[in-house]
Amino acid sequence: MEHTSTLERVLRAIAITLVILFFIFPIFWIVLMSFQTNETILRVPPSIVFEPTLQNYQALITGELDTAAGKLEFDFMSNLFNSFYLSTASVALGLILGIPAAYAFGRLKFRGSEDIAFTLLSFRFAPPLLVLLPLTIYFQKLGLADTYFGLIWVYQLIVLPLILWIVRGYFEDIPADIEYAYRIAGHGFWATFFKIALPLAMPGIAAAGLLAFIFAWNNFIFALVLASADKQPVTVGALAFVTASGIQYGQIAAGIVLSILPTLGLALYAQRYLVEGLSLGAVKG
Amino acid sequence: MYEKENKLIDAFMRGSVSRRSLIKGLGSMGITAATAGVLVNAAATRALAQNGFDWKKHSGTTVKLLLNKHPYADALIANLENFKELTGMNVEYDVFPEDVYFDKVTAALSSGSSEYDAFMTGAYMTWTYGPAGWVDDLNEYIMDDTRTNPDYNWEDVLEGVRKSCAWNGKPGGELGSDDAKQWCIPLAYEQNNLTYNKRVFDSAGLSIPGNIDELVDTAAAAKGAMDGGYGIGVRGSRSWATIHPGFLSGYANFGQKDLNVSEDGLLSAAMNTDVSKDYHAKWVKMIQDSGAPDWSTHTWYQVGTDVGAGKSAMMFDADILGYFMNAGTAEAGNLAFAPFAANPDAAAPTPNIWIWAMSMSSFSKQKDATWYFLQWVTGPEHGLFGAREMDLVNPARSSVWADETFREKLSSSYPGYVEMHDVSAPGASIKFTAQPLFFDLTTEWAATMQKMVANEIPVDEGLDQLAESVNSQLKDAGLG
Repeated sequence: MEHTSTLERVLRAIAITLVILFFIFPIFWIVLMSFQTNETILRVPPSIVFEPTLQNYQALITGELDTAAGKLEFDFMSNLFNSFYLSTASVALGLILGIPAAYAFGRLKFRGSEDIAFTLLSFRFAPPLLVLLPLTIYFQKLGLADTYFGLIWVYQLIVLPLILWIVRGYFEDIPADIEYAYRIAGHGFWATFFKIALPLAMPGIAAAGLLAFIFAWNNFIFALVLASADKQPVTVGALAFVTASGIQYGQIAAGIVLSILPTLGLALYAQRYLVEGLSLGAVKG
Repeated sequence: MYEKENKLIDAFMRGSVSRRSLIKGLGSMGITAATAGVLVNAAATRALAQNGFDWKKHSGTTVKLLLNKHPYADALIANLENFKELTGMNVEYDVFPEDVYFDKVTAALSSGSSEYDAFMTGAYMTWTYGPAGWVDDLNEYIMDDTRTNPDYNWEDVLEGVRKSCAWNGKPGGELGSDDAKQWCIPLAYEQNNLTYNKRVFDSAGLSIPGNIDELVDTAAAAKGAMDGGYGIGVRGSRSWATIHPGFLSGYANFGQKDLNVSEDGLLSAAMNTDVSKDYHAKWVKMIQDSGAPDWSTHTWYQVGTDVGAGKSAMMFDADILGYFMNAGTAEAGNLAFAPFAANPDAAAPTPNIWIWAMSMSSFSKQKDATWYFLQWVTGPEHGLFGAREMDLVNPARSSVWADETFREKLSSSYPGYVEMHDVSAPGASIKFTAQPLFFDLTTEWAATMQKMVANEIPVDEGLDQLAESVNSQLKDAGLG
């Protein structure tokens, strides 16, 4: 049995505390800011002691804020809904399209499979603006500009390659013999896929889905270029608090807290799958 | 609805009721100041409808606008119902935050999108949009009596501001020249002058600086009087926006230019003259001695926030930034305004200006209807409404500046603002040379300034190197 000295334990605890503080402090500070008024946040010198207020959250929910320069109106909750809708729908579509494709690339060797897989991955290489300007013209001609459907389609540029390549590695890690044994027992291709391959790859799928959701949630440029103000996600909506008449730091902080909650909740719920999925999918046998 | 109120307002418009009686009367009817403002403007709009112009020509048409999240856009939106009533037209709009606004505009225009008929823009941006064929020359509409209402009064727009929105598209071409195209029409504009903390100045016994040497000394003295703060706020980030406010306003006051234009139209760097080097040296020293410790990150936001929070004693930046910071901040009510001429031999200040203006998209499919909106939003009635009732400051029309109600509003809460404006407005215009490399060259200028302030390069040497680089880029682009 391994023994650790008291000194080592103390040093380890200090090191862990320092690391946690380093990573958590900015988020902690943002949470504190979200309960302060702009004047309290900007006082010189800054202080950790303040009278907490819910006015920032209240303003976000009601969509109105009285500022120095008058009433500031915004629609943050609608931005939050847009982020949620676009990310969820994009990941759902990405999973529907990506999982069978990943299985095909991982299991079935066919002519040009590597080239096609690499082409799909290459969507991630292109600078978004390079793609978006020509896409804007096509979208207008096709009537897809300023539609949720069009945006969900474009979001596949983010989520599909991610899902495809992570899940593909995972399918490749599952011993093919298990599937062969099931097939020999008289089951068909699709039954094998749904009953054997899919459940075994579930941690990888969950990890890929979660990562794709985070990437989609954080996207900024697609909706900005392709859609009107009423379809913008939180990443664009949060900038409404940076105005010529001043920066509303309290609302920005409250907006950040609200906008990280869905991804944080999802990540906490799925963290077991995330770690397992990423680590297992990453190692080839 | 509002019948009694409208009668009272019409009486005010006819001049048979004083403004004080109007406000008192409306107050007794339970009308708030904001609603009263809209009602008064509705009366002005009714008067406008009687001027013989066919305002209903495009009734039923919808125009769509792209707007920046800004108090100027708020004023426009607040008054929109009056336009709809006047014309029978409908107006839709998209508002985007300023941080991403120009990305949205550029994407919409460069893709040839017909989604937006008109949009807010800065005058500098039209130096790209105009020659690219993305925006229309509005002279065609302004000068056409059949399309423009007789009360539009184009000459009422301040000359320097009006001309700053017009360019002939030739690199180095004079703004507002006879052959210039009117790429945009100003909504409102910013002059760069001094906003100072009167509380700090009074307690430290400081007087308002009258030239660049006094500014350097006063900033140093103010820093000494500030408890942990600094003397003067000016922008410092690696951006063209660092050069255009206070710095260029003072620079132009010495008769200095960014570029020379030869007789054959070729451009060359003009920022390494002896006078320029002397001015740069003083500016750099001022920042080193009395500027923000993190000056090189300072943009509009930091400069304004710090003066509002009492962290800096003054700023040499946009007057409307001081205007916004004089309410709802820790130093609200303590900020005062003064014109500033950097050159002791200059007769008056020569502020460089930023203009928020409206342009018409060349891809619009209903240009005549769009022009109806543009002439209304840049017209005297909306200007007066925005200035009196909202924050459309600084208005671009001289008739609005002559309005006593507006002047009283400013003078009562913003000490020195009106006087500052009146003194500096005659010399206010865009001081840059219009040319396609504007953003690149001016950003490089800011980068050089950062090196000078960080003592990475002496001022003389830095400016010589900058001039060399600018000349090389101009030559490469076929402009020099």
